[in-house]
Amino acid sequence: MRALRWLLVPLVVLPLAWLLLSGFGRDPRELASPLIGRPAPAWTLTTLDGETLSSADLAGRPYVVNFWASWCGPCVDEHPVLAGTQADRGAELAMVGVLYQDATADAEAFLARYGDTGYPHLVDPDGRLAIDFGVTGPPETFFVDADGIVRDRQFGPLSAALMEQRLASIGVAP
Amino acid sequence: MKAAALGGLLALVAIGIVLAFSQAGDATAAERTDALAAQLRCPDCQGLSVADSQTAAAREIRRQIDELVAGGASDDEVRAHFTSRYGQWILLAPSSPLVWLVPFAVVLAGLLGLATWLIRRRAPPAVAPLPLTAEQRQRLHEEAEALDA
Repeated sequence: MRALRWLLVPLVVLPLAWLLLSGFGRDPRELASPLIGRPAPAWTLTTLDGETLSSADLAGRPYVVNFWASWCGPCVDEHPVLAGTQADRGAELAMVGVLYQDATADAEAFLARYGDTGYPHLVDPDGRLAIDFGVTGPPETFFVDADGIVRDRQFGPLSAALMEQRLASIGVAP
Repeated sequence: MKAAALGGLLALVAIGIVLAFSQAGDATAAERTDALAAQLRCPDCQGLSVADSQTAAAREIRRQIDELVAGGASDDEVRAHFTSRYGQWILLAPSSPLVWLVPFAVVLAGLLGLATWLIRRRAPPAVAPLPLTAEQRQRLHEEAEALDA
């Protein structure tokens, strides 16, 4: 009986403490997106340049959809990674930015200040595309393969290493 | 007496839960939109429902609920529309009834454990008399007769 009581601590209390500690330490928004393994949402939107772009235009190539905003701090950190990927890999894949709850003038000022990415940015006036992708806050990036299936998602800013890792999921070799 | 009061209280709680989950009567489209908006998490807020928020995302989600309800979607279909995008995270309350029942089961088990411990501590340990061996019985007889004599 006494031995049982001493066993109770490691057997019950420790796993429970571990469950609570690991659970509270995690951001629930980082959970795997239900979109992974499913076809990417379709869209037809206007770019910052005033042109109409559709998801059908990107069909047949792997593509990256990056939700960002000029008011988002971490978006500044990942900006060079995105621009660098476009510069180095622009021939292998397509990239699009989507303004997340941002004014077009502010977004243009951001690009003027930190440098143009070299790929189009979509204006999502009602945030409908953000809802279709289940975006909870920028930056958030989706990786779609050549068959139009979502293969990976990055919640939070992309580093160069994370970009390589995510790109591999859509068949873009380093 | 105390047990009866406790039982009554638990029964009331159970009835309350059942009532809270059963949809009462036919709600209007606006009432259904409000009810559904209250069950969904506002994606760009901290711990607020779509009904309690005025952010752009919350407004658009309310518009989509309106549209789905007007199109004849059931409550489950509206919830599925959003969980297929955001996952279970978008629901403010878990959809599995198990999650609601587990805390009550744990409290009940704890109360039962406490009760048995209290009862066992109060009552002196009942020690069953050991059966006598034939030899001991024989000796008892002899000593009793010796006393009588």
